[in-house]
Amino acid sequence: MAMSEAPAVSITGLRKTFPVGFLHRRRREAICGLDLRVERGEIFGYLGPNGSGKTTTLKLLMGLLHADAGSAAILGVDWRARSWRFRIGYQPENPYLYDYLTAREYLDYVGRLFGIGKAERRRRAGELLERVGMAYAADWPMRRYSKGMLQRVGLAQALVNEPELLFLDEPMSGLDPSGRRMVRDLILELKRDGGTVFFSTHILSDAESLCDRVALLRAGKVAEVGALSDILRVDVSHLEVLASGLTEEAVARLPETVTGRHRVGDRWRLEAGGTLAEVVRAIEQSGGRVLAVSPVRQSLEEVFFREITAEEQKAWIPGD
Amino acid sequence: MDSRGLSRMAAVAANTFRETVRERVLYNLVFFAILMTLSGLLLGELSIRQDEKIIKDIGLAAMDIFGTLIAIFIGVGLVNKEIDRRSLYPLLAKPLGRTEFFLGKFAGLGLTLLVNLAVMTAGVYTALLLARRGWGGLLILKGVYAIYLSLLLVVALALFFSTLTSSAMAAVGTVAMVVAGRFSDVVHNMREVLPAAPGWFVSAVYYLLPNFRTFDFKDRVAYGDPLPAGVLGLVTLYGVLYIGALLAGGLLAFRRRDLS
Repeated sequence: MAMSEAPAVSITGLRKTFPVGFLHRRRREAICGLDLRVERGEIFGYLGPNGSGKTTTLKLLMGLLHADAGSAAILGVDWRARSWRFRIGYQPENPYLYDYLTAREYLDYVGRLFGIGKAERRRRAGELLERVGMAYAADWPMRRYSKGMLQRVGLAQALVNEPELLFLDEPMSGLDPSGRRMVRDLILELKRDGGTVFFSTHILSDAESLCDRVALLRAGKVAEVGALSDILRVDVSHLEVLASGLTEEAVARLPETVTGRHRVGDRWRLEAGGTLAEVVRAIEQSGGRVLAVSPVRQSLEEVFFREITAEEQKAWIPGD
Repeated sequence: MDSRGLSRMAAVAANTFRETVRERVLYNLVFFAILMTLSGLLLGELSIRQDEKIIKDIGLAAMDIFGTLIAIFIGVGLVNKEIDRRSLYPLLAKPLGRTEFFLGKFAGLGLTLLVNLAVMTAGVYTALLLARRGWGGLLILKGVYAIYLSLLLVVALALFFSTLTSSAMAAVGTVAMVVAGRFSDVVHNMREVLPAAPGWFVSAVYYLLPNFRTFDFKDRVAYGDPLPAGVLGLVTLYGVLYIGALLAGGLLAFRRRDLS
């Protein structure tokens, strides 16, 4: 079955430029020859600072923008065909939904676009609004909704056709902690059911906790892509030790492998290289007692900032 | 477009109609009702044959003016507003083609205008009955039909301009075309005022402008002059061809447009 083996998303040589300047005579390259492959059944994080091309990539795939060059296949189908659109869901960034409709009416409208029958549309709308925590406001006009409520309905509309592949552009944006948790649970649920999720995010901790693989986008190009375990250094970079009973003098005498020494009340938080045994021995010989030890890995955030330039870092809003 | 495409187009049209109803576009009917009631009250003072003519005159003119205003100012925002507010993004990612969306928006506003005209027509017939002038005959319906065609042409113009420029500029362009098209005889006789104007230029402008006078049968309806089916057929053909050309041009621009 060649179709089922095809990747969920396959992008080859994608390019997009936008006109700039008063007379539109110059062009700025937003996506520069992008190649990307997202496998079926994975949660794929698409990361990058503002203006790196995340939303542009998604808009190109959805046909909202026209590519200058390149091609893509979605669920094994050429992106110019219509058939794959029955099998995917897409939530744009900060969706604006018709404020004169209620959420229930909006989902009904979206369901009609898929040719879903009336009774089934009604059932799915009720079920989805329950699922995204919006059942209580299902019959309010959406002009009364907050940004977070619109985000939840935006997610519900992406699920109306029970998609195999979900594209989410900044799905956590504007959501409160319970909303973020709901989105995380939904993404994991979709993966459990064999679905694929492709989502762009600014929030690195979300990517770290959810993604099987990520791509780091930089100025319209993929700077790094792979499984998180490949991108993050698997080895422990250092140990973080919480110790008590140490005097200032004793801490100063600790070996050079202890690189960070921070006083926290009557305790010390120490960052130490070397083996665990060496660190514990050094602390105990200085009259201290080890309270806790945490191995520290390189975080996705550190990898990300290593990949992007200082200028791009300024545009980066962690946790936005 | 297959039946599934037509069904998606109908969904867009139904939603557009619902939008215009909820955004209180049909409130103009209240003004129309007040206008017709006041006319009815005042006309009691006039001579017997005059009141019937004036009811028809005012009724058809009000249909034309209210309808044209709706067609221009709702028409220019039909697609542009969806792009500006990004409400279009999730929809176009679904199996909804741009052609279906564009034609659905046109059909939706067309439906709003039809309902508007239907209610106003009922108002004119009611006013005639109240004035004890008989039921008015089918001639009124023929005049209303021609007005409806002209309103669809205005919507097509507004949609066409809105795919090329902003809503504000599109409104200016549409108003200019509608005004010029209503005074097409002035354009035709331009050489009497500007003898230096080349003949080919005057002819080109005259034939390219939508000739809204073609759809204007208000006087004939008011005076009870018959409107042969052949005349209406030609007007229909003219309207359909012009609307078709504008929609095709607008669609071409919309399909090529980047929604950024």
